[in-house]
Amino acid sequence: MIVAAALCPCPPLLARELTGHEEVLPELRDACAAAVARLLAAEPDVLVVVGPDDQTGTWPADGRLDFGAYAPALARRPAASEAPWPAQSTAAAAAARRPLLPLSLGMGALLLDEAGYAGPRAFQGIDAAATPDECRTLGRRLAATAPRTALLAMGDGSARRSTSAPGYLDERAAPFDLTVERAVREGDLAALASLDPALAADLLAIGRPAWQALAGAIMPSRVETDVLYCDAPLGVSYLVATLTPQ
Amino acid sequence: MDGAVAGDRGQPTRTPGPLRLGGREFAPGQPLVMAIVNRTPDSFYRPGVTWDQVAAMDMVHVAVADGADIVDIGGVPAKPGPEVTVAEEIRRVVPFIERVRAAYPDLVISVDTWRHEPARAMCAAGADLINDTWSAWDPELAEVAAEFEVGLVCSHIGPLTPRTRPHRPAYADVVADVLDRVLLLTERALKAGVDADRIVIDPTHDFGKNTWQSLELTRRLAELTATGWPVLVSGSHKDFVGETLGASLDDRLAGTLATTALCAWLGARLFRAHDVRETRQALDMIATVKGDRPPARAVRGLA
Repeated sequence: MIVAAALCPCPPLLARELTGHEEVLPELRDACAAAVARLLAAEPDVLVVVGPDDQTGTWPADGRLDFGAYAPALARRPAASEAPWPAQSTAAAAAARRPLLPLSLGMGALLLDEAGYAGPRAFQGIDAAATPDECRTLGRRLAATAPRTALLAMGDGSARRSTSAPGYLDERAAPFDLTVERAVREGDLAALASLDPALAADLLAIGRPAWQALAGAIMPSRVETDVLYCDAPLGVSYLVATLTPQ
Repeated sequence: MDGAVAGDRGQPTRTPGPLRLGGREFAPGQPLVMAIVNRTPDSFYRPGVTWDQVAAMDMVHVAVADGADIVDIGGVPAKPGPEVTVAEEIRRVVPFIERVRAAYPDLVISVDTWRHEPARAMCAAGADLINDTWSAWDPELAEVAAEFEVGLVCSHIGPLTPRTRPHRPAYADVVADVLDRVLLLTERALKAGVDADRIVIDPTHDFGKNTWQSLELTRRLAELTATGWPVLVSGSHKDFVGETLGASLDDRLAGTLATTALCAWLGARLFRAHDVRETRQALDMIATVKGDRPPARAVRGLA
């Protein structure tokens, strides 16, 4: 049973180190941290992270974000001849041996790590092309993970929100994201569950299958929701929200 | 002598460590810009531009704002010319050091001088580093550096004496000659009591070298950085750049920055420069490619 759920986006720039010297979108990072804090406040038996992946499947619970895929310098070990950089602590070395997750789940792992969560966690990848029915079915199964399951659904809205967006402007992007935002604000899980996969894929809205799994995990319960962040400052729609089943 | 050991040349080499100048400490991966502020009417590049004391102070303000870590103040041009007496050198430089020190209590002040009398007055006025471009022509400089607990640049000029030009300099191996000389000077500096963490070596491009020899030093700069001593590169707008590119004095910035970038990649840590902003950017670029510095703001492809 789901005791608490949250939506968070998964842009690599959520990882503080990846943006370099300057902090980018700290308010987004704060919102994600607040959402995760509320999941932990529900004192779940297990925290399940679900996010889009190449195929549906589980990942090791000690998995972590693959920094090296995005910033090789951050993963590179210094050669013996070079000055120590960065200083490798025992903890860092241990972290370096943990398996690498796909972006959506890795970002979830990072958020849990940053929240200091050391309890049981599980990572569930979901096929980016999974049908709404497959998503809901998976969601129901995730809800049954433990008597008190917290669910963190990772994923973004459209990446076609402006001409400078990664996917350039698509006029359908803003209405699509607004539909998602309204559904979340109003606790309308059925609306989330009926998002069109083809349209979402066209709009590069990779969060769709995870949101639909979340809808399936909670339905038919009603939810109270709180939107902590909803904006597309860099042309990609980021939505952070918590959903508490009543 | 902490960290100093005998290298293959029988002279001290070091494990790269922090460079201490004034109250500051600079890590090996942190390239430093040394801004040139000449208190002369007749230095080779933009002569007289900071002869006026107000203009010189303005240049310090700009250099600091543009990212200079060190200002290098000199009162005597390198090229031959009218004699500048000790008293005149002191008159040109010391009051200016006092003004800079008053305005910037933490800024590292280097002094480009080769005689111990002015060096002593400059250190008393607040200098942190003696940039002895003329390769210990006056051996007492090391004692002044030790006495005032300031840094010392150990340079190479081949057969030259101060303020003379190279005339047919020839070396069996110019890099070996430079290494022999600068490592000998580091050894002498240590014996004189200079703090090992405050010693810098400088191959001294153009001084006692023709263009081919300065190019060879640049190409093989890693042999200098391999000694572990912090390496200063002082190549800004120099003739080896001009002759290489067929570029006049006012057209050597690109060549200077290319040399700067290459030497930074090969591990040099200090860069004496006329163009502070451009040099800072070139060095930051190289430091970031190396992984010693994060990008200022990385968002591209990460949204």
